[in-house]
Amino acid sequence: MNVAVIKTKAEQAIPELFEKVADTLPGGAKAAPARREAMSRFAAIGLPHRRIEEWKYTDLRTSLKDALAPATEAGLSAEALTAALGPLAAVAGDRIVFVNGIYSAVLSTKFDSSGLLNVAPLSEALASGLANLGAIGADEGQNAVLALNAAFVTDGAVISVADGAEIDTPLLIVNVRAGKTAQSTATRNIINVGTKAKATIIEMFVVAAGATANAQANSATEIKAGDGAEVVHVKCVSDAGEVSHLSNWLVGLGTGTVYRGFQFTSGTRVTRNGINVTYGGENAKLDMSGAFLARGSEHIDTTLVVDHAVPKCESRELFKGVLANHSRGIFQGKIIVRPDAQKTDGKQMAQALMLSPDAEFDSKPELEIYADDVVCGHGSTVAEIDEDLMFYCQSRGIPPGTARALLVQSFIGEALEKIEIETLRDALTSTTLDWLDETKA
Amino acid sequence: MAAVQETIDQVRKIDVDQYKYGFETDIESVKAPRGLDESTVRYISARKGEPEWMLEWRLDSYQRWRTMKEPTWAKVHYPKIDFENLYYYSAPKSTEGPKSLEDVDPELLATYAKLGIPLKEQEILAGVQGARVAVDAVFDSVSVVTTFKKELAKAGVIFCSISEALREHPELVRKYLGTVVPQSDNFYAALNSAVFSDGSFVYIPPGVRCPMELSTYFRINEKNTGQFERTLIIADKGSYVSYLEGCTAPTRDENQLHAAVVELVALDDAEIKYSTVQNWYPGDKNGKGGIYNFVTKRGDCRGHNSKISWTQVETGSAITWKYPSCILRGDNSRGEFYSIAVSNGYQQVDSGTKMIHLGKNTSSRIISKGIAAGYSQNTYRGLVSAHKKATGARNFTNCDSLLIGDKCGAHTVPYIEAKNMTAHFEHEATTSKISDDMLFYCQQRGLSAEEAIAVVVNGFVRDVLQQLPMEFMAETQKLIGISLEGSVG
Repeated sequence: MNVAVIKTKAEQAIPELFEKVADTLPGGAKAAPARREAMSRFAAIGLPHRRIEEWKYTDLRTSLKDALAPATEAGLSAEALTAALGPLAAVAGDRIVFVNGIYSAVLSTKFDSSGLLNVAPLSEALASGLANLGAIGADEGQNAVLALNAAFVTDGAVISVADGAEIDTPLLIVNVRAGKTAQSTATRNIINVGTKAKATIIEMFVVAAGATANAQANSATEIKAGDGAEVVHVKCVSDAGEVSHLSNWLVGLGTGTVYRGFQFTSGTRVTRNGINVTYGGENAKLDMSGAFLARGSEHIDTTLVVDHAVPKCESRELFKGVLANHSRGIFQGKIIVRPDAQKTDGKQMAQALMLSPDAEFDSKPELEIYADDVVCGHGSTVAEIDEDLMFYCQSRGIPPGTARALLVQSFIGEALEKIEIETLRDALTSTTLDWLDETKA
Repeated sequence: MAAVQETIDQVRKIDVDQYKYGFETDIESVKAPRGLDESTVRYISARKGEPEWMLEWRLDSYQRWRTMKEPTWAKVHYPKIDFENLYYYSAPKSTEGPKSLEDVDPELLATYAKLGIPLKEQEILAGVQGARVAVDAVFDSVSVVTTFKKELAKAGVIFCSISEALREHPELVRKYLGTVVPQSDNFYAALNSAVFSDGSFVYIPPGVRCPMELSTYFRINEKNTGQFERTLIIADKGSYVSYLEGCTAPTRDENQLHAAVVELVALDDAEIKYSTVQNWYPGDKNGKGGIYNFVTKRGDCRGHNSKISWTQVETGSAITWKYPSCILRGDNSRGEFYSIAVSNGYQQVDSGTKMIHLGKNTSSRIISKGIAAGYSQNTYRGLVSAHKKATGARNFTNCDSLLIGDKCGAHTVPYIEAKNMTAHFEHEATTSKISDDMLFYCQQRGLSAEEAIAVVVNGFVRDVLQQLPMEFMAETQKLIGISLEGSVG
């Protein structure tokens, strides 16, 4: 619905901020027109708010009060990076590290730029004209968060995996925020996985010790997986403080592509994980899952659109969240089956476990189906910890605190099990256990 | 899995070009001047001889409506309605004067007889002792007759048109009108509040179990007329009532507007069962004509241990925009919604329910089956919410839909909002609900896999249909055969 609204403080400040920093942003003259165009698009649509159906439960007009200045470069030692990664440091792989949204050559793996795998920082690719700020997603036009991302983006990973290449070592895109000044970052990854290629890409968002508690992150990942490609794609957000994390995944699948996605979120004040998957060829398989942990007054929103535009594709989604204190979890999942997408097989499940009386879970699992020979289903449940299970554990001599932790772990474990990389699964399990220890219901 | 032939045939039988109730009654009528302004509202109120407060209430609603915009969020598309080009009041001329059965125009009686609604107070209907139904027949804007009034009065039940209730029982109407659906609840409710012309009023006194089924039969006859009826049902403490509603309209090329408001109030320990068979003219096979059915129905479980149950079988209307809801205010109150919506031709259905859990230990159940064929769009839209203080809220939702043909669409838009830790909400919309155990049982008794599915699914659909009172079974019989295997969430 179009409702005339007065611009908020942040909405007014953002274009002014853009004018101030526009000349300093990477890509120079080559990227400038796209940035300006994105900015004017943002100025026209403004921050999303409750009257826009997709943003019904997450109102950025109220939660993004200030326009924070883009973050500046900050030095970070290898030890400090390991400390910031915490349990995630154990995940082996080649790293592309961004500190405050700026590429750190020192902390990153040296990639051989020719051959099967090409990895480059977006800042360089923009300057050389190798990358542009367009997106493969169809709806970038009305997506204010993506528009902001395109306008302010400082860096990101440009990854291209050659046809038939099998990259066994996971690629870790590590984003660390550091420094004491309130800051905003905008990063964008552009990933191309060629025909019959294999790759594992893990995005990490962590915070260095002593960093400001006031930060805004805007991250976008465009990923195009070619015919017959096999892609594992994970995003882990483990932050703390008054932090907002706005992310968009734009996923395009080819014929027979197998794509396994996972998103883990904890510690952010306001999170919006937008996921947009479009099928471009038949027989593709998607498994998109996620887990989120929220406490205090945290707000975690996952909004997923799976667009079955072609026949014979499969999609599976499982999202699980644990909500404590006054926190709020949101899941909006939409499966679209287009008129010709016969033999589609789609299943979606969203579940929340509430640990505190004031927690809230809002769920909107949507189906929009135009083809008749399909199997689609969705489910959504919300409940507190089962008293009977607690009693059972306690009757076996397990103290209430441990019993509760066990039950929560088994609940969230069902989602974490979707992760096949053992070190990553262990790291997220240990993050979950630490979170439980620190959380008072 | 695609739909089986039997289902396809059954749906075809009720396709839009098979509409049986499309005839027109040639009867002289009195109309309000075309268009809508304050004078129209005053005209309607004056014709009904309403008290001053009612006129003010209407005018207030009209002013509020003027400031509101038509809702656009539903998944329905239609040309803009010209509200200035409608007649807001039309009554058969012969209904002026006393309304006893003997005085009703025989032409009207014949119309209802043709529709299969007997307005004679038969002692025995269809040979079944006790299966009697009191009918309030609404023709265009007015109630033409209400049967069995005397007998109901003996039990203390008030069943009459809302116009009559405004004259005879103004204190009751004033106490409850607009308390469930406020004047400015939504665009169409506000319009209805300003110009509603008639409808039924039911009051069941404390502790009374209504001795017979009550029903209203709505008929739109006049051209270019909007029908705006208002139904108010109050079940006082410990009472029970079952209410049926049916509707049809003539076959016409232009679209007609029907914007009704139904308010139900259930006090402590009371129960209301509200069933609808909606069969408005759906338009022809090219999507021309048909009724725009924009209805606000809401029940308020105001008392503790109260219960409201909505059952609907929707086969008609060009556009349906209807969400019979329950506000579960009283502790331990219960809301139910059973729905079968079949869309054919170019019909568009956007229907569902809202279960608002406010009291403690409230429970609700939603079973919705949507069947889309032809070029139709069938959407289930529902809200289940538990507010902060609604401890122990329970909901189970199951909504399945089935598509026949690849030109139609079936959509599910459920909203689940839990603001209380103790809420247990389950929503599911799957095809795998038929348990393997049941199928195995049927198959080991010699049924083929398909027959087994048909048996199980038919049994399941019958469960929903059996929520309807027996008198409506005839109308829904043709739907019973529809099996829902191959359905998608």
